[in-house]
Amino acid sequence: MPDAALSPFAPLLLALASLFPLALLALTLAAPGFRPRLATLLWLAPLPGLMAAVFAQGAIVSLPTPLALGLMLDRPGALLLGSAALIWCAAGIAAPAWWGEKLRSLPYQAWWLATLAGSMTVFIAADVVTFYLAFSLVSLAGYGLVTRDGTVAALKAGRVYFALAVTGEAFLLSGFVLLALGAGGETRIAAIVAALPSAPRMAPALVLVLLGLAAKLGLVPLHLWMPPSYGAAPYPAAAVLSGAAVKAGVIGLVRFLPYATPTETLGIALAAAGFFSAFFGVAIGLTQRHPKHVLAYSSISQMGVIAAVAGLSLAAGRAAGPTEIAFYGLHHVFAKGGLFLALAALSMTGNRGRAALLWPAAIVALGIAGLPLTGGALAKLAIKDALGSGWAKTLGSLSAVASTVLMLHFLTLATVMRSRDASAVAPVALRAAWWGTALASLALPWLLFPSVGGSLAATVAPQALYELGWPILAGGALFALLRLWRNRPSLPPGDILAIIRTGEPWLARLSNGVAAIEGFLTDWTVAGAVLLLLALALAGAML
Amino acid sequence: MSAGLLATSPGGDVLVAAIVVPVIGILLLWLVRPRAVEWVALAALLANLGVAVAVLRTVSSSAAPVAYLIGGWQPPLGLALRADGIAAVFMAMAATVLVPVAIYARGAFGAPGERRPMVFWTMLLAITAALNLIFCGQDLFNLYVALELLTFAAVPLVSLDGSRETLKAALRYLVFALAGSVLYLLGVAIIYGAYGTLDLIGLASIRGPDGALLLAIGVMTAGLAAKTALFPLHLWLPPAHAGAPPAASAVLSALVVKGSFFIALRLWFDLLPPERAVAGSTLLGVFGAAAVIIGSAMALRQARLKLLVAYSTVAQLGYLFLVFPLGLGSGAAPFESTAWTAGALQLMAHAFAKAAMFMAAGLVYEAIGHDRIAEFRGLGRIAPLTVLTMTLASISLMGLPPSGGFSAKWLMLTAAFGEGAWWWVLVIAAGGLLAAGYVFRILVPAFTPPEEPIARVKPVVVRREAAALALAVIAILIGFLPLAPWPLLAIGRIAAGAP
Repeated sequence: MPDAALSPFAPLLLALASLFPLALLALTLAAPGFRPRLATLLWLAPLPGLMAAVFAQGAIVSLPTPLALGLMLDRPGALLLGSAALIWCAAGIAAPAWWGEKLRSLPYQAWWLATLAGSMTVFIAADVVTFYLAFSLVSLAGYGLVTRDGTVAALKAGRVYFALAVTGEAFLLSGFVLLALGAGGETRIAAIVAALPSAPRMAPALVLVLLGLAAKLGLVPLHLWMPPSYGAAPYPAAAVLSGAAVKAGVIGLVRFLPYATPTETLGIALAAAGFFSAFFGVAIGLTQRHPKHVLAYSSISQMGVIAAVAGLSLAAGRAAGPTEIAFYGLHHVFAKGGLFLALAALSMTGNRGRAALLWPAAIVALGIAGLPLTGGALAKLAIKDALGSGWAKTLGSLSAVASTVLMLHFLTLATVMRSRDASAVAPVALRAAWWGTALASLALPWLLFPSVGGSLAATVAPQALYELGWPILAGGALFALLRLWRNRPSLPPGDILAIIRTGEPWLARLSNGVAAIEGFLTDWTVAGAVLLLLALALAGAML
Repeated sequence: MSAGLLATSPGGDVLVAAIVVPVIGILLLWLVRPRAVEWVALAALLANLGVAVAVLRTVSSSAAPVAYLIGGWQPPLGLALRADGIAAVFMAMAATVLVPVAIYARGAFGAPGERRPMVFWTMLLAITAALNLIFCGQDLFNLYVALELLTFAAVPLVSLDGSRETLKAALRYLVFALAGSVLYLLGVAIIYGAYGTLDLIGLASIRGPDGALLLAIGVMTAGLAAKTALFPLHLWLPPAHAGAPPAASAVLSALVVKGSFFIALRLWFDLLPPERAVAGSTLLGVFGAAAVIIGSAMALRQARLKLLVAYSTVAQLGYLFLVFPLGLGSGAAPFESTAWTAGALQLMAHAFAKAAMFMAAGLVYEAIGHDRIAEFRGLGRIAPLTVLTMTLASISLMGLPPSGGFSAKWLMLTAAFGEGAWWWVLVIAAGGLLAAGYVFRILVPAFTPPEEPIARVKPVVVRREAAALALAVIAILIGFLPLAPWPLLAIGRIAAGAP
């Protein structure tokens, strides 16, 4: 195993995974002359992360004592780091083809590299401060990617994105402080989680952390930001946001839940929230009219499945939970990120060469639902043990049925995407990025499945084929029925966001109210009276 | 031994230098040629920085306070200067802020020999002396004198440009600060009447939970709160800090309001019997919480950068007052508490970040001729270093790691959770969200490329940009200090040895 033969360069590789994108960021900030070249080299930036995932598993980097920052890489972290690095790489190849000249300007490169640095670091953070730093970086810099087009809709989506990002961070920070306090001021994640079972306020701490992660994962009702943001983000940005950035929430589930100790109530609650999101995402996704929004709702649904698996593993005290979650996440990185790249390629393609783009999309999309023999099937098999055999297994199969319906809905919308120019062909870089990602989503789970404890022989056993196959068939049948329903309702992306937006005038009134209070208090006579009252009140309070 | 006995400690004379250096600086300002004024002031501030660093090193290496008895006379007859851990740290902090401010302000007030540069540099050195005296003062009347010096040096800075608006703001500030002084002086009189001494160490050794002391502290605290612009006594701060020239705003927001806060801190932590502190400290905490929420909400509404930054000061000062309930509530040694360090860190992080922010705001104004936030598009292209400064300062103000603001927030949350005081957690979290909101309002347009190239009114001077940037970088660097109570801040607290 890598641990035994850990190269002395492994810690360096780990540090480079997060520092190399930052170094490029500094370069593009300081050297405008380098920007045209960097635009075509953005795909290089995540490569140290990829190499670290392959060669540096088990490595540790810790800074000298006053600086409480550190990095480390374990197996679940490596799975997510490697897959995220690959989708960043693929999107980095697609980006120049999609954006062209624009990518040579500072805002494009700076936001891209800052988000990338956070995205890589969050998987290898060894302490809560580094984790929070990386988590904030990937979330806040992601704002720049969401709003890259600068349209009114994008800026509006960006505000929702930002609001939920900082709300999630506030939860996360409070939870981290409480976790550190429970571990006697310790900030290393491993020590904190080891001390968790005996920590006095474990439940509130974990609830706060989970709320913070839920905002990133898009668990209902903190999912509001996801559909408008993915809808507004240009395709390469949507690919990395949905593929890589969201996995900051997944690594949080991996890192902070005490899987070694069965924690029933919290686990079941998380599983319930996850399953709710899994079905809610599909139900609302079916009312969407744009394939980007459908993919966003599919993400909400899939992250719900991951949260459910994490919750069930936590409730049962399954130590294998983190690896299974990470493996499921790995497939989702390629599948979801890849489908956004496929949409980009389709939207630049006229009448020729569509089949070569659409067929892989069909296989990858149905892979999300667990189409037998795809990488997605292995992902479903990896979480099979966590779902067990009771109600959770049934819900798991039903969510596969639901995903099938949603993915068929997505495919019907995707076939309509085309360039206005009938003879247009998408740039080869864009198509290659999509095909490469599709291949990764199909092949890499096969390569890695044995290393996470899966048996390849069992995946082709008739039993497994049946269990994975029937939800696809049932979903197909259901979708055929659904198409008979002519005027299906159409909801705006972000569903209840539209209702919340009706409260905006109320918010303005609140702000005016505050200003009125301020106006009253900053009157001379009032302030003078308050000063005297405060003197009396303070003296009175002590007497 | 009686806690009242003080002796000049080895290296104690350096405290005299802390007062004398800026005073000599002022005298020299009036003797040298107008052209040299700036350089003399800068030299005095650099010397002051050297003195402050020497004091800090002495205190931290000996792990004991430094004291000096003027003329060798014991208090209450004589005057004592004494720098304990927190005083030494704050002296160093103030001295460090002042040097970049001076570098920034050089040449900003018109030709040498005019009224404005002379007033500015004189008042800047007077503020330096007053702050040092406040940090080292041992006697309530001495502190009063220092406080008055601070106020009277700060008010002219507000109206430096002599416009109607700023004169009005300065007058407001003056009247309100004087009302605060009256209350403070009233408290001093009550204590003198009851105890016959104003020496803090002497008072701490004979204090008891008696009515006169409690009444006096209550009245004095209200006065100090008015000078610190604790909500709802902040009416003077936004117009004064937004109207002053940027270098002056930086000093006013970063340092001047902290002087009166420091005295309040001493009254409550050194003098007040801890068992009597609960209700009053909660009251201060509630006002602090209101400051955090309403100050931030007001900052969100502002259309102009300087007013936004000024309201952000109102909010950030609110956090400081959470130290009272969090530090005094637990009953256990308050100086070793997390809250004590959190408060000190918040004070320092805010000082550096806010000074940088006001200076950057001034540069923005110079570069594009206005500070209307809605028209900031393209700022990043015109003044990249200034936008970088604003970004770094904002990171600290909104409490993102790594920054002093983050460390302060982390420790403050730790203290609040440690006491099971969830309501303060809510305030801190809500304040962070609102801060993120107002920072977002500034930075997003600044980062957005302009639709058409916007005109640069005047080139920005790199020296001045670098001075502001240095302060912002320090605000970030504070975040690399360990996330734990500092032993340095607990050195030499009076109440630790008192009954």
